[in-house]
Amino acid sequence: MSSVEVLAAIQQELAGLESISFVAHRDAQTALVEVQPVAGDSVALEWLRACRVLFEHDRDAGKAFIRGSAEAARACAGVADWTQSALQFIAWRGSWRAVDGFMTQLPAACRLLGEADSKRWVQWGLEWCARHLESGIAWFQCPVAEFSGGHGLAGIEQVALPSVELFEKRRLALGTYLRGAIRVRDLSGAAAVLPWAKRGADILQAGRLRGEAYFRLESEESLALLMENLPGFRLSEHHRLFQLILRAWFGSGFDLYDSDWSPGKGRAWVETDGVALYVPLVMPERGTAMLSVMHAAGHLVFHSYERRYIEALFRAAGREHPPLDAEQRITWRPLFAAYGEDMIRFQLLFDLCEDTRVDARIAAQVPGYLRGLQAAAEGVEVPTGAAGEYIEWGRALLRWQARGGSGDERFDALHPLLDTSATIVDAFRIANVLYARPDLPPITLAGRELAILPWRAPNAARPVYPRNTLDEAAEKHEAETPDGEVSATDLREKQQTTTIPQQAAGEDPDMEIPPEDTAGSGGRVGVGLAQPAHVQGTGRGPEYSEKGTPYPEWDYRDNRYKMHWAWVQEKVLGEHDAAAAASLLAAHAQVLQRLKRAIQAQKPQRMAPRRRQFEGEELDWDATVEWVVEKRRGTSPSAAIYRQRRMQTRDTAVILLADLSTSIMQQCAEGGRVVDRIRAAMLLFAESMEAVGDPYAVAGFASKYRDNVSYYPIKSFDGVLGMRERAVLGGLSGRLATRMGAAIRHAVAQFDSVASARRLLLILSDGRPADYDDGGDERYLQEDTRMAVKEAIDAGVHPFCITLDEAGSEYLPQIFGSGHYLVIRHMNELPKKLPEVYFRLRR
Amino acid sequence: MKALLNRLRGVERDIIQAPQEDAAAEPYYEPQGNEIVLFEAAWRKRLPVMLKGPTGCGKTRFLEHMAWRLRRPLVTVSCHEDLTSADLVGRFLLEGDQTVWQDGPLTRAVKAGAICYLDEIVEARTDSTVIIHPLTDHRRQLPLEKKGQEIEAHEDFMLVISYNPGYQTVLKDLKPSTKQRFVGIQFDYPTEVIERRIVHNEVPELTEDQLHRLVALGQRARALKDHGLDEATSTRALVYAGSLIAAGLPALEACEAALVRPVTDDPELAEALLEIARAHFS
Repeated sequence: MSSVEVLAAIQQELAGLESISFVAHRDAQTALVEVQPVAGDSVALEWLRACRVLFEHDRDAGKAFIRGSAEAARACAGVADWTQSALQFIAWRGSWRAVDGFMTQLPAACRLLGEADSKRWVQWGLEWCARHLESGIAWFQCPVAEFSGGHGLAGIEQVALPSVELFEKRRLALGTYLRGAIRVRDLSGAAAVLPWAKRGADILQAGRLRGEAYFRLESEESLALLMENLPGFRLSEHHRLFQLILRAWFGSGFDLYDSDWSPGKGRAWVETDGVALYVPLVMPERGTAMLSVMHAAGHLVFHSYERRYIEALFRAAGREHPPLDAEQRITWRPLFAAYGEDMIRFQLLFDLCEDTRVDARIAAQVPGYLRGLQAAAEGVEVPTGAAGEYIEWGRALLRWQARGGSGDERFDALHPLLDTSATIVDAFRIANVLYARPDLPPITLAGRELAILPWRAPNAARPVYPRNTLDEAAEKHEAETPDGEVSATDLREKQQTTTIPQQAAGEDPDMEIPPEDTAGSGGRVGVGLAQPAHVQGTGRGPEYSEKGTPYPEWDYRDNRYKMHWAWVQEKVLGEHDAAAAASLLAAHAQVLQRLKRAIQAQKPQRMAPRRRQFEGEELDWDATVEWVVEKRRGTSPSAAIYRQRRMQTRDTAVILLADLSTSIMQQCAEGGRVVDRIRAAMLLFAESMEAVGDPYAVAGFASKYRDNVSYYPIKSFDGVLGMRERAVLGGLSGRLATRMGAAIRHAVAQFDSVASARRLLLILSDGRPADYDDGGDERYLQEDTRMAVKEAIDAGVHPFCITLDEAGSEYLPQIFGSGHYLVIRHMNELPKKLPEVYFRLRR
Repeated sequence: MKALLNRLRGVERDIIQAPQEDAAAEPYYEPQGNEIVLFEAAWRKRLPVMLKGPTGCGKTRFLEHMAWRLRRPLVTVSCHEDLTSADLVGRFLLEGDQTVWQDGPLTRAVKAGAICYLDEIVEARTDSTVIIHPLTDHRRQLPLEKKGQEIEAHEDFMLVISYNPGYQTVLKDLKPSTKQRFVGIQFDYPTEVIERRIVHNEVPELTEDQLHRLVALGQRARALKDHGLDEATSTRALVYAGSLIAAGLPALEACEAALVRPVTDDPELAEALLEIARAHFS
């Protein structure tokens, strides 16, 4: 064909296209302008023919092909090749989306992968189309840049390889798999993809829906696995380490929670809401993590969020009061609003000043801290653009700080911040001075993340609970240390006394709180809300019934059981207070230590030699010699001259069931509240049980009417005593009334899961069984409890009651029988007595 | 020659040993408060004394010092859970066809007018603790039940016990009737300044800088007591760490060996302690 003939054929094809579709003709003409010069006339003709063929096969496919061609022709050399490839899509009906994806991604493929590798990409994609059209579509629609992850064709191969087998063995569509796999590769490296996919294949076999959710990274298990494989230092496993270190340096305890950070959500940093620290699951390396935690705690210790300073801060900014949100937290936005477009720059400057102040204070207390900071700062890869200038500036600032604040006149304005009397208000003032200078360029929100040194975090991003430590320290007339050193627990105490209801009726904290609060999924638009990331809740699963488990109740008036009368619901206690738990344990450390030693003395299965026995395997030499000597002297000593080695096994399981009714919130005669003694007692009990090793469970109960008996399992027989459980014990509070019988019956049922021969139910109470609907008839629930105790004994469980009610001896003998209860008259003895009672009983 | 023999087989001495008179033999002790005055007053009135305080804070050293100061022999008995009254008072032994009475350490101290130090007395069985009752009140007598005798104590005899509340068990506590017979002297870890003096005296090779760091580290680590650490870092442990450093070990390794590993098996706690050590010594 001569060139004239070719041109004529092109015109003919165009005319043909026009007769089919106006749009196709118009678009083709536009694209032809691009294609023809690159490809030459004869290839252009072929291309035009392909346009028509595809258009006739599927209008959408044709349109997509034509529209994408101009761009493709610019990016890729071999027009003939990709035209041929596109024609292969004709083999499948409904393949237009694949064509669309193909044409959209082709330019990127050519640019990123090169000509040869892009052909492989096309080839694999077409193979997928042949296997499963939807998967092919997913292949071509996946953006090549993401797909390859910057590793070229190798990147694509890493992700795609496991998918073929998954498809052939488990019929897993590529569309379900691809996104997740790419994310896994990006976060955890190429090596993690295969194990992740294999695990997924197993799950897929167990259940289709579950498996697909796994691959879409929607299921807990998949996220957990992903987290497990994340490279870096795992902060979530080291909460206790951090707490210990913070205690050593700052002398007070801090609550640490997992933050809601997850991979792909930007940079991981340690944040605070003014009360607790929120740490991400993983940070790149240990040193940074350690510095981050110390820095964040430093903000709390050195009063970044102290109420009086924040108020002064807002006054300095021209606002009378800091705005509070629904939870009485301070929101920061108005402080920065005045800076308009340049807000981020000011925020960064303010943070730099405040962080410098806090770091200076920490460095005074922690040797080597500043050196660690410098090392961390020098290790940062400096980003390009504005963010890089901030990093450089921050480094120079640190060097200046390390030199004791000299040698760089840029930072002279910051000198007051190194003084111990500086506050956040000074930081704000100096930030304004710096803001007026042109040292640092304006920056975008996206760049902010890169502009912050690794151990720091935006200080004013979250709303915070203002701290009152200084005010309280002043109130207490304590000898104020320079830092106003007051532990976090003091703060908590104050909050709680104001929030816990004194009147029970209708004010049960558990029933008032909407479910969202316990779920921890909160989060407000605009500002992040610090919330624990993990949700643990029974009663949210499908088996949960609102009414719970029914138990009969004994009616002494009719002398019969009322069947299905009392309904027990298992609930999770929402309140928890790790700091209180830690300080209670610290306060009773001596008692605990003594208990632990006592436990060691009677640890089960210990081979203890028993001396001076009347029979045994070997002679007790001391006793023997003594016996001989005495005999010679003419006295008649007792012949206890043997030693025995006897395995002393004790096979006991115990449940500690605490009455959590309103009355425990009362003040007690010795000062302080009853609840604090109960918290301490239960904590000590749990801790010493951990040392004993006997199976045990800890639970609480409260009730409001017969159909609303709440049973709060705090630690189950097979559960572990972790931070969370301790925190719950530390945060116990009283609510509602005491329907003891139903709680006992429910607790007895819990013993089904243990094999121990001896079963002990310890009931910790502070008063008579009573409830709102007992009509003032004390005897009714008392008789019911008596029957519940009798049933328990029949079921092989030995109930024992420890009461704080001094009048306990009046009614407890009738319920538990004499000798099966103990009245504790001195409240302070309770924490010590409770484990002791158990040791006495288990002998 | 004598020194060589001593090196070869150790030194055997009778438990009743009057302290050497010369000042060079003075056991080093750094007073923290009024304990010396208090002890001397108790001594003048021959009142029994109870030394309380955590391990490794210098109770035993204090007593050695006081014994030297008062020129009295010191008899130390470390109590353990199988210690019977016979171990303290004495027992009949067989010798040929005869039974021979042998005085226990307490009896010997009572007769010789020594200071008898019952270390960790709560560890002993209760029956052995009650025999000290008549010794600790106005009677100042030691009954020898098996011999049917009573011994009037020498006028210089003095009884001292140590009692560490962190140590005792629920099952074994001193009876209130025992406790209230004593004059109590409370010991605690010394302040930073005094502790530096002590460590310096024990390990004079340490540089001023090492001394500062080591003692600061010890003070920090004590904050973790009761948060998993049963016994806080003692002055003795600091001296050990200092000695290891003086012996040429790198500071961090010395601290790990002397201050971290002995006190805890808990990996997190060990890590926290190491972190504190690293901050001071890296």
